[in-house]
Amino acid sequence: MNKVFLLFNADSAKNRINSFLLSKSEMEVMSAQGKIEDILIQINNFCADVILIENGYENCEFVIRQIKSNSKNQNTQIILFLNKHEQCSFMNLADGFIEYPLNDDILVSTLESHFKIKKSLDRLYENNKELSRSLYQLNVLYNTSSQFTGTLNTSKLYDIMIEAMEKTLSFDISSVLILNSEGNPVFNLNTIHTPSDNLVNALKIRSVLNFKNELKNESHPVFDIENIEIKQNIKQTRSNKVFGIDTISYDSLYAPIKIGDEFFGVVELFRQNPFLPEDVTCFQAITHQVALPLRSAKLYEEISKTNKKLEKLEKLKSEFVSIVSHELRTPLTPINNSLEIVLSEQAGTISDEAKNFISMAKRNIQRLSGIIEDLLDLSRIQTGKLDLKYKICDITSSLELLQKTFLQVANEKNINIKLEIKKKLPEIYADIRRIEQIFSNLVSNALKFTPNNGVIDVCADIVDSSEINVENLISVSSPIFGNYIKISVSDNGIGIKKEDIPKIFDKFSQIESSLKRNNGGVGLGLTITKQLIDSHLGAIEVISQESKGSTFVVYLPLADNLKVFEMDLSHALISHDDVGIIKIISKKEFNLIEKLKENKLLNLSKLSKELIFDIGESEEYFVFIPKISYSSFEAYCCAIEDYIDKIKQNECDIILSKMHSAKDGFDAVKIMTILTKG
Amino acid sequence: MKKILIVDDEKDIVETLSFMLKAKGFECICAYDGEEGLSLAKSINPDLVILDVMMPKINGYKICRLLKFDNKYKDIPIIMITARSQDEDKIIGEETGADEYITKPFEFSEVLEKINKYLA
Repeated sequence: MNKVFLLFNADSAKNRINSFLLSKSEMEVMSAQGKIEDILIQINNFCADVILIENGYENCEFVIRQIKSNSKNQNTQIILFLNKHEQCSFMNLADGFIEYPLNDDILVSTLESHFKIKKSLDRLYENNKELSRSLYQLNVLYNTSSQFTGTLNTSKLYDIMIEAMEKTLSFDISSVLILNSEGNPVFNLNTIHTPSDNLVNALKIRSVLNFKNELKNESHPVFDIENIEIKQNIKQTRSNKVFGIDTISYDSLYAPIKIGDEFFGVVELFRQNPFLPEDVTCFQAITHQVALPLRSAKLYEEISKTNKKLEKLEKLKSEFVSIVSHELRTPLTPINNSLEIVLSEQAGTISDEAKNFISMAKRNIQRLSGIIEDLLDLSRIQTGKLDLKYKICDITSSLELLQKTFLQVANEKNINIKLEIKKKLPEIYADIRRIEQIFSNLVSNALKFTPNNGVIDVCADIVDSSEINVENLISVSSPIFGNYIKISVSDNGIGIKKEDIPKIFDKFSQIESSLKRNNGGVGLGLTITKQLIDSHLGAIEVISQESKGSTFVVYLPLADNLKVFEMDLSHALISHDDVGIIKIISKKEFNLIEKLKENKLLNLSKLSKELIFDIGESEEYFVFIPKISYSSFEAYCCAIEDYIDKIKQNECDIILSKMHSAKDGFDAVKIMTILTKG
Repeated sequence: MKKILIVDDEKDIVETLSFMLKAKGFECICAYDGEEGLSLAKSINPDLVILDVMMPKINGYKICRLLKFDNKYKDIPIIMITARSQDEDKIIGEETGADEYITKPFEFSEVLEKINKYLA
């Protein structure tokens, strides 16, 4: 029934329209008298479709404005009654006009058309409301899906799910039953008001039944209903309202959380207002969406458990290797000494044949200690205990020494080791002992795999990074730029199959790959070589042809490259404006600079205070960072005991600390932290 | 004749080492644990000490530090013998103040070279 409200001054006109309209059975007509405020209240309560108002009605403009400003009447049509040719200032406020003298037909047709307009507007309004609701749900769904992908934490995923449902479906109660990482059931209850104990129990049993139902064909965990862990979250704890057992008769939505065959739990929502079809779609979308990251989370959990186990095993293995190696070295010492005494005939003369055999024993002792040394190196590399002593050093003399060292062995096989140094080699920043180890490994390999009368070429040169074919390098661990010393070791030995090349750097590869091994060694040399090259920010390349020979090319960065580090350092950005001290502890000086650069921890322009560098006892840092030292701020280089005092006296922005310095770097950092907090 | 004190709980190492050093014309005094080594070092005032790291009672680091931080003995050169390569860092220049170290198993010529650096 259409509703009409009349606002007329003259009773005659009002009565006439009233009785005329009432004769039309499909209309409800109302008029009012009294104070304006009362009339306005009546109008708002009545919710008219059309309001007829006479120009000249008391405070006509005010009344129209008041009606329009109330959201209840936003679609209500206002028709203004005017005298013929009459005009008024607020005509634009009305939705339609009727002129006196009154014509019934005009009145009826005008009313009919405005009823239609009102209905259309109402429908439009409803549709709009639904649309914006759907849009909101969609938005939440979209946000939720990106939140889901952001975490692999199971309980967080459930929290996100519940939050999304709360936003989109405004439920009164949600009950979720899942298994935690230990496989025990957990019942999560989110309610607006405090639920009664009976309700909690009922919902719990209902969830368990649902859960079992989902798994009807499979063996399911035995639920001890009394002992299920319950997590409750009540939104309005202060309200007096309590959800009783009857709440269970609210409209509800239920879904299992599963993907494919994998089942995670059940979720059920209750709401006093019935759920709409869109709500169901939304609900299903969320439960479906959460299942995928849950599966990933489960896999991730399994993987990290396995990883932890593996790490522990790896550590045990390394420790074992290290201990065994120590224990082997001690008894080897007197054996070696005794042989030496006998061989030198200090304990009496021996026959040439005996000398021959004793020499054989001695050679093998040396071989054995070499193997032990390799095993130890490997275990140190794996546990990160390989401590390199970097210095500016000259590689040329090392290469010449190397040639001499292998001369005797090479002569035995009549192999010629040629050393060619194309340009004068600049200095590198390295642990020279380790660099010697790298090339000693490569040359001794070359000797092993080259037949008698062969040739081994050792060739050194300087190259620019652009001359290095990065694709040929074996798994490079540091960026390639600047100038490098290129040293190649080539032989014309048995060569390596192309597919085997990446494998030769694996541990014990020689043992694995050949049953017909007659070349000695345990296959650790190249593994260690690769690691040592990595530690020096270098790279290695292997070129080989079966039965023709192999070339191993080692690239080592020049000390000059370090200047590039410095420059990058000064351009780095900082995000910590308010950080007084940035702690960086690094084992290796090389890595330190790299890390600073990578983590963009340094913005030198912003550092106004002093820099303190603890470098233990060495001054090696300053080889790296002279630029910092003569910049606008001061840098200290001191031992830990002193720098604690320095910190007390001055605030500082950055502390670089070596972990293995005289006093443990860790302790110093602890002290520092306490100091800065205080 | 130069006096060398050898301290190591591995009797075989001490025996072979002293045999070889004697042949090279050194006088060798031997100790088989840390305590004995320390008291001998203080009583006989040797020209050089060869010291094992891992020993019962007092370990090599400690003996080394005790001697090096005592004005009376700090000038006695100390060569440490180690089976643990990680220890190398601790021995030289850092806490102990030892002058040299040798890793097991060692060649006699290596030991001799280091001794001659101080006693030649």
